Formats: sequence, C-alpha cells, structure tokens
Amino acid sequence: MTHGEHDSIRIIERALEAARADEADASFISLDQNISRFANSEIHQNMSEESAWLTLRVVMNDAIGVATTTSFEEDDLAHATEIARQSARHANPVRGFAGLYKENEPLPPAPAFDEATAAISPAEKALALRSMFERGRRDDIQFAGAFSTGAASIACGNSHGIRRFTRSTHAEATAIAIAHDASGYATARSRRAAEIDPAALGEEAILKATLARNATEDITPGAWDVILEPPALAEVFEWMNMIAFSGQSFEDGSSIFVGNIGNRVFGDAFTLTDDSLDPEFLPFPFDMEGLPRRPVTLIENGIPRTPVLDKSWADRLGFAPTANCWFLGSSEHGAAFHLSMAGGSSTREEMIASTKLGIWVTRFNYVNGLLEPRTALMTGTTRDGTFLIRDGKVVARLPNLRWTQSMVEAFSNIESLSRERRIVGTWYNMFGGTLAPVVKIRGWNFTGKQEGPAPA
Amino acid sequence: MRPPRHQLEDALRSLRNSAIRYADIRFTCSEQQHVKIRNGEVDHLSSTTDRAVGVRVLSGNGWGFAATSDLSEPSILRAAKRAAEVAAASHLTATRPVILSDIEPHVASWSSEFRTDPFAVDIATKIDHLMNATERMRGDARIHQASGEISCYRQEKHFASTEGSFIEQTTTQMGGGIEAVAIDGSEFQRRTYPNPFGGDFQAEGWEFIERLDMPAKAETIRDEALALLSAPKAPVGRFDLIVGSAQLALQVHESCGHPTELDRAMGLEISLAGGSFLQPAMLGTFRYGSPIVNIVADATIEGSIGSFAFDDDGVPAQRFHLVEKGMFTGYLTGRDTAPAIGRASNGTVRAESASRIPIIRMTNINLEPGDVPLEQLIADTRRGILVETNKSWSIDDLRLNFQFGCEVAWEIEDGRIGRMLRNPLYTGSTPDFWRSCDAIADRNSWQIWGLPNCGKGDPMQTMRVAHGAPAARFRNVEMG
Repeated sequence: MTHGEHDSIRIIERALEAARADEADASFISLDQNISRFANSEIHQNMSEESAWLTLRVVMNDAIGVATTTSFEEDDLAHATEIARQSARHANPVRGFAGLYKENEPLPPAPAFDEATAAISPAEKALALRSMFERGRRDDIQFAGAFSTGAASIACGNSHGIRRFTRSTHAEATAIAIAHDASGYATARSRRAAEIDPAALGEEAILKATLARNATEDITPGAWDVILEPPALAEVFEWMNMIAFSGQSFEDGSSIFVGNIGNRVFGDAFTLTDDSLDPEFLPFPFDMEGLPRRPVTLIENGIPRTPVLDKSWADRLGFAPTANCWFLGSSEHGAAFHLSMAGGSSTREEMIASTKLGIWVTRFNYVNGLLEPRTALMTGTTRDGTFLIRDGKVVARLPNLRWTQSMVEAFSNIESLSRERRIVGTWYNMFGGTLAPVVKIRGWNFTGKQEGPAPA
Repeated sequence: MRPPRHQLEDALRSLRNSAIRYADIRFTCSEQQHVKIRNGEVDHLSSTTDRAVGVRVLSGNGWGFAATSDLSEPSILRAAKRAAEVAAASHLTATRPVILSDIEPHVASWSSEFRTDPFAVDIATKIDHLMNATERMRGDARIHQASGEISCYRQEKHFASTEGSFIEQTTTQMGGGIEAVAIDGSEFQRRTYPNPFGGDFQAEGWEFIERLDMPAKAETIRDEALALLSAPKAPVGRFDLIVGSAQLALQVHESCGHPTELDRAMGLEISLAGGSFLQPAMLGTFRYGSPIVNIVADATIEGSIGSFAFDDDGVPAQRFHLVEKGMFTGYLTGRDTAPAIGRASNGTVRAESASRIPIIRMTNINLEPGDVPLEQLIADTRRGILVETNKSWSIDDLRLNFQFGCEVAWEIEDGRIGRMLRNPLYTGSTPDFWRSCDAIADRNSWQIWGLPNCGKGDPMQTMRVAHGAPAARFRNVEMG
C-alpha cells in the first residue's frame, strides 16, 4: 500500500519546515513492488516490498546539503534535517546556481497509474507463469526470468510553494526460453499489467531458442552488418546515459557532446529523445525538483542538442533546464530515464531479407562503456539468440560473440530502422525505460566469441 | 528506532500455517555518508539512513519474502503475513523439493573493529583531507578534473529464525580515493589511487583513510594522467602479461568469484547476470588454472568488508578453497542450494539490507600469494606488458570470454620496466587464462581490496565484497 497525496505532502511539508534554510526541497517516494523471479520453470525468489523514503535538500548561501531517511518520526526527521544543514554549511556555493524551481507551471497530462496493476496478487502472477512453464515442458523447454509489478506514489515540493504528487504503476516481464544449449529472450514493460502477456513472451522466447536449432556456424572476427533488437540498444543507452548524456559527463569533459553541441557527430538517421509524455511509452509528469516534464531532444538527426540536467547543473553549464533530476543531490546531475529512439519505415523481416551477410542480435550482456568515453567505445557480448544471416535468410545459430565498438561510429552507420518500436525496462530506473526500434547497422566490430573450456 | 527482539520473534510466531516449514526475520539499519570534492569544490555531500525489516518464509516448496520500511509492530506483522502469502504463491509452481542443509541455532553478537569511528570524524576534517589531496593534482590546464571522495558505512543487523537463532551483527566500513582526469584534444585519460569508483574500502575507521595517505600519492597520480596523454597506445598481439594486484583482484571477482556461485551454476540467476561454465559435475576434476593457482573464500579476515560472523541464513562465516592447486574444488553455497551438490552450506548468503532477499554473494575471494618477489617476476620476463588499475570490465554470461581495460600499462623488455602505454586491453577465456599463470608474486605484493559495488539479483542488490591478490604473470595473453 503506497502513501496517499495528503500523507505524502504532509511529510514533505514537515521536512521543509524543519529545514530552516534559505531554500529547501524534498521528494517522498513510497513503493509497493512485487517481483516473482523464476528459473528452471519454477518461481524460486518471490518478493514483496513496501518501502518509503524521504530525501531532503537544503540550500544555504547557494551551497547544497542532502540527507535521505526511511523513518519519519519527529526525531529521525530532525536528525536527517540536521545532517543536511550540516552538509550545506560545509559545502561551497554551486557556481551559477539561480535557486530552486519557482515557476509552478501546470503539469502536462501523463497518466501513469492503473488500479488493476496495483492490485494484482502474487497468486495471479504465479498462475500466469505456471501456464507458461507448462507450455515449455511440452517441448522440453525450461524458462527463466521475472514478472514484476508495482505501484508507487511520488511527491516532491520546495520552499517556494511547489507541490507535486502522482501515482504510477509498472508491469514488466522477461522470459528466457532454454532449449538445451540454446536460448531465446523476450521482454515487455508497460504501465498496465494487462498489456504484459507472459504466455506471448514465452512463445516469442521459444521461437528464438529453437530457430536454426540444428544449424550452428562460427564466424571470423571483423566488421559485420548487424541487426540489433531493442534490448541490445537499451544496454548501450544505459552506458550512454552515464558517459555522454548526463550533466556530470558534460562538465567533466568525458561526454562526446562536449564541443559538439550543434555539430554533426552521428548519422542523419539517429534521433534520440527523452520523452515521458508519450502515452504509448511510460508517461510521467514531473521530475524530482518539480519541473514539468517535456520531450527533450538529445540528438536530432545525428546532431547533439543538449545533455540532460538537473536545475543546478543547467544553471551552472548555461543550458535551459531539461527536468531530468530523478534523485535530489545525485552526482550525475541529470539522467535520461525515458529514452525514445526514433524509428523508420522498415520491418525486422525486411532487414533480414536485405542482408547478404550479417548477424542478428537479440540482446547484449555486460556492456561496458568506459573504454574510451570520448568516442563512446564500448565492449560487450551477445546472448540469448545470435544468428547468422546469409543471402537474406537466417541460416545458423552463432555462439555468443564479443564486440568492441565505438557508438559514434555505429550510430553514423545506420542503414535502416523499423517502424515498430518496443519498450525495454532497465534495472536502475523505476520511472521509465527505453523505447527503441530494431536497427540495422553497417560494420559492427566483432572481436571474439564464447568458447567452452578446452580439456586440460 | 529498532524493533526489540521480542517483536521480531513475535512476528515469526504469528506464522502459524502448518505448511510453513521455516521462517526468518531480519532488521537492518544502514547508514552511509559520502563526501566528494571536485576541482576545489564540495561536489557531493550526502547522508542516508535506511531501516527495514524483512521476513522470509518457506511454505511447502515455495519461498516468499516481504519487507517494510515501516518498523511499527502492525507493519512487521503485516510483512510476515504477506511473506507467507507470497510463499504460498511460489509453491503453486514448485516442482522440486526445497531442502535446507542442517545448522545449529546460534545466539551471538559480533561487531567489526575500528579505532576511530568514521561517523564521529566531522565533515570539515574529511573535506580538509580531500582538499589537501586534490589541490596537489591541480594547476596544469590539461588536468580537467581533480577529485577525491570519502565514504563511511555502517550496517547493524538483527536476525531471528524459527530454528532458534538470534544474531546481532554490526559492520563499520570506510573508503576513499582520488582521481585525476587529463584531457588534451580528443585524448581523455583517467588515473586513480588506490582504485577507481570511490577508491578502496576496508572494515576499519578513519585510521584507514590516514593509512591511505591520499595527499602523498596525489602528485604521482596527476603526473601519470598527464603522461598517459602522450604515451604510445598499448600494442595489439600476444604478450606475457603481468597483472598488478588491484586489477587481478577484479579478475578474480569476475572470473572466479561469480562462476563459483552455486546459484548461478544451477541456473537461478540466468535471467539477469547469467549462468556459469563451472558445473557441479566438474567439482574436483576440472583444471581451472595452473597448479600454482589457489583461490580461497574467507569470510573471517579481520578488517575486510567481505567479512562477517554469520551469513543471512545464520550459518557461521568460513574459509574454504574454491580452487586448490589449480583444480576446481568448491562453490559458494547457501542452505537451500548446498544440498543439490551433497554438501552443507558454507555460509555465503547475504542481502544488501533487510528489504532484499538473501542470495549467494562473494565474501573475501582471494588468490593466495606465491613465493616470487614481484621484482624477480618482472626481471624474469623477457618481453611483456605490466597492467595496473581497472578501467573497464566485461565478461560473457557463462563467465568465460572476458575483456578488461586498465588505466595504465608499461612495457617490459629484458626484465626491465620501460615505456608507459595507454589504453591497454586484454582478453581471453577464463580457464585458458588461469592455466597460463606461471608465476604468482609473494605476500609483499598481496593486498586485500574492498569492492562495495558488486551487483546481483532483482531488484539489484549492491554487495560489499573483497578480494586479496598479489601480482601474477600470465603467458601469451591476447592484448587489444
């Protein structure tokens, strides 16, 4: 059970009253999340969490201090407030900081709550999963994955009278079908549990796990045309968020955006927006500083337009605020939690048919984007369905492959984009996810493969 | 606020359903403080206090878990009831019996040691210490960022089970590090001390920060970051590779720690982190590394952040081999997984806090030192590369194919350290790599490194683990 609007705002107001600072703001989130994890076609971890936390930020002489607590008794609130005040007293003024948000503009419509999703029971989810498991057993297929649902109430406010409150829900399922030594993957995320169909995801994963089951080939490392599905792109964007899009990466000079705002860096076909107002994505109306959300174009036809920023870093770096503060006091100073990559006019099937020799990738594993941040050089491996395409047809399964690739180069070599886009959840982001098409890219650099241990 | 013992035990007693075979309850209070200085300013100063109670129930063959941050008695009782409902739902899909390895109940209390309480050191002292270190890295226009950070952590944990255990544990930890970022045109280089991502972490007090002596290392870090800007790029090809202690600690983490987690080997983590190439049938018969490779899990090391007295199953902390004389001999296990390989739990189940399900986690996973002084190891290398300090890491879903990037490398020619090299990458397959280990440096280069950010589970749990490692040499490793 999450806190209602009256309770949430009351807790924020108590914190603001206790702050006794030049300015103060606070966010209060209460969460009811329920995650059923499964493996070997049975639920092995099943959890339900009701938690709530308050983050208070005080501003004294333009210096900021932050404290977070999960206890809202008078003493605990006073203790958190004192810690935040003490921190602010020791901090330096934030250069260029023009103060907390004051304008109180109306919020855009962003319906984020679904009653049925908030009410779904553990038994309902278990029964839906049991049907999927039974379907798999008919073909000797085991499932692993997770089915998550949750509700949250999110409130924020500040000493300038800003008060925001909304409720949101989410539902997400991932299914990995394991057919002996081959696997396939499918995932979906929505504000509404009714739109998440474990059975359909199970079928999609089975298709991937059994495709070209008896035809395996190997490849030589090198540059290959590649077709990437949305879960693969979501992994890449997770790192782009850290090394290229955040206010902090812009200020510390590691972002490819530095010196390139308004210049062509990527290909024409690459447009990336942070959009939490799209009703077909994962709507959310405001950020934790209380600014109304609006679509923010990060990259427009290959040209970087702005990093995503909290207000203090927008002021400091001289950008217009983008309403991307998701954690008060975050040292990232902005994160894009609703990344929406523009699609095109193609279909995945047309991309496969148009490929003379290429590789089709379902998802990536363990991507790392810290190799050379200024070119967004990343490495990772493929998993849960990597296929060889020859003369327009899927002809074989490939082992999981290692790749090392500059994303500046990759997103300059987009050949086609699908019209259909899909939502992928990301583990670090309770507010949104990634909405991406299938993308065909020329010359992706594969450098190795997963090989079983040789006899000693 | 702490719920009293009787309140935790009352919640367990409220679980009267005859299908319930086992239950436990944990309370945690986790406190963190983080101070970061960047370019002469306080960049980040925050404190977090997180309290939670979590109840875990085994009903039939289904596990259920429920947690709350509301520590009132009615809320704790509701969590217990919800955990039972969730366990009953899990049982609907169960196809195999859940067997728990036997343990004795324990009533005990334990705290990690420290000399100076990290939370008692005032913020001004922490800021001054970091300012002193970071100012020494500034001054050259190419140094784009000079930063330093100090973190304090304390977790108090109470555990009670239906088998009669009641265990109180408190760990106090401290971490810190500095970083210089140098930029020249399109070249971007980062150098850190003693490790990236917040530095090194130990279960100690402020004395650890004093021992790190970051101000004394600052100028070296600055100079190396600047030198990397114009250093030649590390070569591509096959080389004999000497891996420094801090980087080898991460290699142990990724290529031995994770694949020896029995839950991964049993497929229980496939949906997120993946599985393991080390399967139970390989226990005792698989050559993981060369005969000089010995890797132990040891949760009993004093002063390390991977240490504790009891895990979150209530099993005492232990020391045991994962790899002995190069052979794969052990897994990290918990009470509900160990029976699958015919063994008893070796006590490695932990949760980030009481709001998360306990799962198998690394403790202190250590590569045992060899008997060669590092200087001699270098002198015995005709043509090779020495790499130090992790920059990037990636490994496949079975923990076989890996690629690591390091902050810095040096050429070794005829037994001598030569030119500095930038952007070194090395890659390989786990057993091939460890089988190629032909020399391990002695205890003088052995150091235990605290890693406070090991991610696993859903929802993601960040666990504090550690790794002891010396430097070691690996033959014919692929670079680039």
